[in-house]
Amino acid sequence: MKTNAATLGLVLAVAFSTSALAQQALRITGSTTINPVVSEAAETLRKENGLAITIDTAGGSTGGVNALGDGRADVGMSSRSLNDSDREKFPGVDFRPVSIGRDAVSMVVHRDVWEGGLRALSAEQIRGIYEGSIKNWKEVGGPDLRIVFFNREPGRGEWEVLTKFLYPGEKTAPRTNHAMVGSNEETRQKTATTRGAITFLSTPWADSKSVFALGIRNDADSVVEATGPNIANGSYPMSRPLFVITNGEPSGAAKVLIDYLLSDAGQALVAKHGYLKLADLE
Amino acid sequence: MAPCAKLYRPQWILWSCAFGVAVTLATLLAALLMLVWQSLPVFAHSGVGLLTGTDWYYPEQIFGALAMIYGTAVVSLVALVLAVPLALGAAVLSAEYLPPGPRLAVKSGIEMLAGVPSVVYGLIGVLFLREWVYKGLEPFDPISGDSLLTAGLLLAVMILPTITTLCDDALRSVPAAQRAAARGLGLTRAEAVLHIALPQAAPGILAAALLGLGRALGETVAVFLVVGRQDGQLPGNPFSLTAWISPGQTLTSKLGGPETHIAFGDPLHWSAMIGLALLLLLFVGVCLAAAWGLERMMRRSTDPVAEATP
Repeated sequence: MKTNAATLGLVLAVAFSTSALAQQALRITGSTTINPVVSEAAETLRKENGLAITIDTAGGSTGGVNALGDGRADVGMSSRSLNDSDREKFPGVDFRPVSIGRDAVSMVVHRDVWEGGLRALSAEQIRGIYEGSIKNWKEVGGPDLRIVFFNREPGRGEWEVLTKFLYPGEKTAPRTNHAMVGSNEETRQKTATTRGAITFLSTPWADSKSVFALGIRNDADSVVEATGPNIANGSYPMSRPLFVITNGEPSGAAKVLIDYLLSDAGQALVAKHGYLKLADLE
Repeated sequence: MAPCAKLYRPQWILWSCAFGVAVTLATLLAALLMLVWQSLPVFAHSGVGLLTGTDWYYPEQIFGALAMIYGTAVVSLVALVLAVPLALGAAVLSAEYLPPGPRLAVKSGIEMLAGVPSVVYGLIGVLFLREWVYKGLEPFDPISGDSLLTAGLLLAVMILPTITTLCDDALRSVPAAQRAAARGLGLTRAEAVLHIALPQAAPGILAAALLGLGRALGETVAVFLVVGRQDGQLPGNPFSLTAWISPGQTLTSKLGGPETHIAFGDPLHWSAMIGLALLLLLFVGVCLAAAWGLERMMRRSTDPVAEATP
């Protein structure tokens, strides 16, 4: 008991000192999808402008929005649009999202499934897998192999995109219990090492070596791949804008960062990490 | 001793010690009160359902922690069952058989293992243990490498050094004169260990196991990475091995997950998370209290000195 309390005291002391330190630095948190772009931009700004910036990705997009709303971050990274419940939760906060690019979400599968010949799924089939009524890959034209569905943690931007695609117009997705994975790295690693695994992942993270991205079979029975033009013209259904968000008009270090992300150098970073830059969307 | 100690003991030492104790207790009490206070809304919303409900789905405000309590119990049980015999064996070797030089090496090695940060064990678990469990259990067709069993195995490795070093201390605290007396009466070394050292160290060994359990209950990061984080996993038979090799959720893996960040700004959801933290604190508290109580009880019944002196 005594050691527990002492540890707690230590943790509190560390928490206070880091929060005092972070007061001067620009605190950024949120989506693991946007993180590589913003981290690289921050690295440049640290060197060239001497800015102090701290970045983390606890809780994904929703974690970023909440941290911003709660005053625990100065800039939120979100790979989903703000919704009414965000604004209801934080009525006093003036969310100012700035889009820095666009990203697609793909259904990704383990090598066995890909080599078994499966290349695309329809929304109906994905719903069946999500709800557990489709249990074997051969039911959707794949190999005879059990389906292992990894759900993404709630609040991840990808989860919002998938459930919006599968259940348009509904407030929440139906309650299902699946094993869960969190960050993009964990998602890719666990999908790559589990036979018959399927999950959904930011498309550029599907490297076609460990995990493989499927196309979407649309109502006209043609397969749409998550390519740049298909995302830009909206024919690929699962894509989302990438936002950095501030509370009120961005100022100071936050403004420097956002201006940089919108500049040619920043947009080149967006493209470098596999996302669509703003110019590609016009 | 007390009256003569007073002569040379400066008052400030007493006061600073008292201050330290007061701060420690006040911190603990404040944390407990805060947890109770902040978890009131969820108890008002779910009542005992928080303890007896299987399902947890925050978008519909369903908060039932039973599946997580079950997960916590299973991983801790697996860890203890695996770690205690190994730790005891290692402790007997180092305390009773090794000469001072090698003993020091073994002991400091074990204590270093006890200090390895849990995220390191977690990453080792993700990289190797998941894979081994997945391949090793192939005949039983596990869903993936993430399971309650994987988490239990990883926890066993993590609490092994703690239990070993505490067991070793318990054995070393048995007076050497008693061993010498036993040998003098013609007992072999093994008999002296079995009949003299182990029974007398038993309270300490039990306390070591319960402290290990306390650590297993509270461990977060490593469990989070390999347990699978699947809600609502409560089998009809709690000892169903199929459930043990399936993904599950523990109190700590839920608390360490993204919901804690999502819950900010939603009073009921936040309160539910705090409720989980309160449950966890209570379980750990009960374990430590049991360790303390059992140790005292056993010491009274096994210690010949305590029996002789009123």
